Amino acid sequence: MSNTDEHKMPQGEPEIDELTKDRYLGGHEYDGIRELDNKLPRWWIYLFYITIIFAVVYMVGYHVTGWWPLQETEYANDSTAIAALKLANPEPTIDLETMVPMTAVADLAAGEATYKKICTVCHAPQGQGLVGPNFTDQYWIHGDSITNTISIKNLYNVVITGVIAKGMIPYKDQLSPLQIQQVLSFILSLQGTNPPNPKAPQGVKYDKIG
Amino acid sequence: MELQKFYYDNKIVKMFAYATIFWGVVGMLVGVLIALQMVLPAANFSLPFTSFGRVRPVHTNAVIFAFVGNGIFTGYYYSLQRLLKTGMASNWMTRIHFWGWQSIIVLAAVSLLAGFTTGKEYAELEWPIDILIAAIWVVFGWNMMWTILKRRTKHIYVAIWFFIATFVTVAVLHIVNSIEIPWSLFKSYPVYAGVQDALVQWWYGHNAVAFFLTTPYLGLMYYFMPKAANRPVYSYKLSILHFWALIFLYIWAGPHHLLYQALPNWAQSLGTVFSIMLIAPSWGGMINGLLTLRGAWDRVREEPVLKFFVVAVTAYGMSTFEGPMLSLKNINAISHFTNWTVAHVHIGALGWNGFLTFGMIYWLFPRMFGTKLYSNKLANLHFWLGTLAMLFYSIPMYWAGWTEASMWKQFTAAGDLVYPNYLEIVTQIMPMYWMRLFGGTLYFLGMFLLVYNIYKTVKAGSFIPLEAAEAPALEKEGARKSGESFHRFIERRPIQFMILAVVAVLIGGIIEIIPTFIIKSNIPTIATVKPYSPLELQGRDIYIKEGCYVCHSQMVRPFRSETERYGEYSKAGEYVYDHPFQWGSKRIGPDLWREGVKSGPLYKSNTWHYTHFMDPQKVNAQSIMPKYPWLAEKEIDVEATPAKIRVMQYLGVPYPEGYDLKANDDLKAQAETIAADLKTNGIDVAASKQVIALIAYIQRLGTDVGDSKTALK
Repeated sequence: MSNTDEHKMPQGEPEIDELTKDRYLGGHEYDGIRELDNKLPRWWIYLFYITIIFAVVYMVGYHVTGWWPLQETEYANDSTAIAALKLANPEPTIDLETMVPMTAVADLAAGEATYKKICTVCHAPQGQGLVGPNFTDQYWIHGDSITNTISIKNLYNVVITGVIAKGMIPYKDQLSPLQIQQVLSFILSLQGTNPPNPKAPQGVKYDKIG
Repeated sequence: MELQKFYYDNKIVKMFAYATIFWGVVGMLVGVLIALQMVLPAANFSLPFTSFGRVRPVHTNAVIFAFVGNGIFTGYYYSLQRLLKTGMASNWMTRIHFWGWQSIIVLAAVSLLAGFTTGKEYAELEWPIDILIAAIWVVFGWNMMWTILKRRTKHIYVAIWFFIATFVTVAVLHIVNSIEIPWSLFKSYPVYAGVQDALVQWWYGHNAVAFFLTTPYLGLMYYFMPKAANRPVYSYKLSILHFWALIFLYIWAGPHHLLYQALPNWAQSLGTVFSIMLIAPSWGGMINGLLTLRGAWDRVREEPVLKFFVVAVTAYGMSTFEGPMLSLKNINAISHFTNWTVAHVHIGALGWNGFLTFGMIYWLFPRMFGTKLYSNKLANLHFWLGTLAMLFYSIPMYWAGWTEASMWKQFTAAGDLVYPNYLEIVTQIMPMYWMRLFGGTLYFLGMFLLVYNIYKTVKAGSFIPLEAAEAPALEKEGARKSGESFHRFIERRPIQFMILAVVAVLIGGIIEIIPTFIIKSNIPTIATVKPYSPLELQGRDIYIKEGCYVCHSQMVRPFRSETERYGEYSKAGEYVYDHPFQWGSKRIGPDLWREGVKSGPLYKSNTWHYTHFMDPQKVNAQSIMPKYPWLAEKEIDVEATPAKIRVMQYLGVPYPEGYDLKANDDLKAQAETIAADLKTNGIDVAASKQVIALIAYIQRLGTDVGDSKTALK
């Protein structure tokens, strides 16, 4: 086919594609590629219109009329909801004075689960110590030297307040009192387990542990 | 009228085609390697130039700019000459284009592995290479426009519209996003910081997808699909409307990469609505491609080339529907930073770009070598292998994405995170990473079927370097004729056409970017935000060099699930000294923006960081982070400190005057403190080592406002 163009096309019936019965566009031929004179598909046009309407409504609703909250407001609403939830479900209070290590299998298992989630990154999977001290020996940093005791109460305070200088953050926002009691019970149950590659002792040797 | 004789240059097509195949193999091989590293951290080999943070950018750059890039030029040189009935205007410019482009790729691979990176995704190359890219791109475009002006056809076909739009837009994007001030022969800081850098970068990044992976490939589709099917294009009217709508709307969509982040709300919303409006224009291309096959569907069953094209165009349609959906806030809140995005981009890369390229190669080689394809059977096998590979790749990645998002966000009835330990989430999706490795490997293997098939085809045929053709010269035609539509008129006015395309793409960019520079309220100032100390700045450069941003974000979004896990959400004003921004796009590991906040949930001691950098698996057996032993051996580049400080001052970072010369004193003092702290914990490392700087930077992150949860309430 030669390089004809619309205005040179002889007047008359346009050429029809045999397979689809669609009309060719005269003069539209590029390296043998021709083009059909089909209209834009209706559904395609409507789809385009709908997305344009969506866009306008979206901009107006967020930025003019304020129908929907922007991200800062959304966050504030969520925070209020969670605060209300926490208020409605107060955590059981724990009497630190009378706290003792738990021994029930379920509590120790719950403690172990918490340990694996949180403590293991510094104190190693079997409590042998890594960046943080070893839990399996008799040496402790935060015990009570007067009574020669390291108790669950001493450890509870460490978890609540943290030891920022050493990289231990306070966990009072991440763990409930019960969870702390459970994980400390698990930690104390590791005494004398002799895991491989223990960290060298840190702190003072205590006789009364628990 | 007298016929003129001329030749089509097939040699340049063949050169680019071989390069496409070669870089395809390389890019996919690197992809398989990094997929392996995700499941087997030992595959990082504890070496700087083989660790994930440096290798992943090689994969993305190789696939996008080397494999797809050469694919573009292969099809472009073949189709352009024939669509215009002329050889290329300048053959030596085509050779400069070819060798220039290949040297850019080699320089890119070498420099990225050596750690020279700007830290901006898909624009990682450093300033000397950026200049080379701009020069080579202009050579390519100049030669194209010159050839178009020398054409023997009156009008330019829709494929060429897409090539013109590609040329001008990529030039604008690349130049604007790469404006940077060098502080050494190979390193620079971008002029933009924080929010502005993020906006410019994703304006660029999204439109690299649009104008490098999409528009030129639509151009190729408009040539090779009707050629291979021997059918007319479905609708010229649709071509016009979807072309202009696509290029005008695409440029606005960049901010959808920054939803719920520290970007002004209005810019985010523009990103969302323009993405939604892109559905129809994108589908216009798909429809025009698929409906071109009407009357030829019976041949799709037989002809592997058409099969590849059908799946490619279908994948394009899926991606361009999914993309807008991912731009909706509520869906983005789930998908962003997860593997969902990874699945999404691979539908585009493996399906649309990969399959279109394969189909085109199977079609081109027999024609350039005057023979038939060696084996249709093998090509069919490649097709099925590739299709299966895509399923094995994408389904696990979608699954992984949803798993990650739900585990990040799940709260207990009491309002605590169910999975506070990030590692649990990483461990949970490990099986999906394995399946992805399997899928990726299948796709890679398919490439060898292609290599073998093409090798045999080439052996069987003989190359036709120049193809003779003839056509009459183009008659001069002036003003618009009566009855001639405006579009038909500018189709024979290529320069005007190009100018209109530039105007169409500039509008969106200007409206979105300029206001964040000139309207102060878009980035509210925070008085407590101070420039980085010299040691922290050095540490930040190491963070960028090692590609930490590839796996860690620095952007806490305003969700309860993120503020519980990481700390106070990010504010625009916190990032004003971040040249470049390091918000990241994927959380293979946790976000680090509040890592240094002592009262935050993530804080770790210097000792922990040191131990962790040296051997993450010692700290967490299931960690997939590479080891960084060289950080304890290599020295901080203190000689560069003054130059770095001076460039930062030039960019407006308020270091006191003359500080460039005193900076190293402060650097050493701060380094000594950290080294001394490590020493008290039994770690003996000199204060001059890189790890000290990196620890200083990590401990600084997010502390300007994050120290107290109430600081910004």
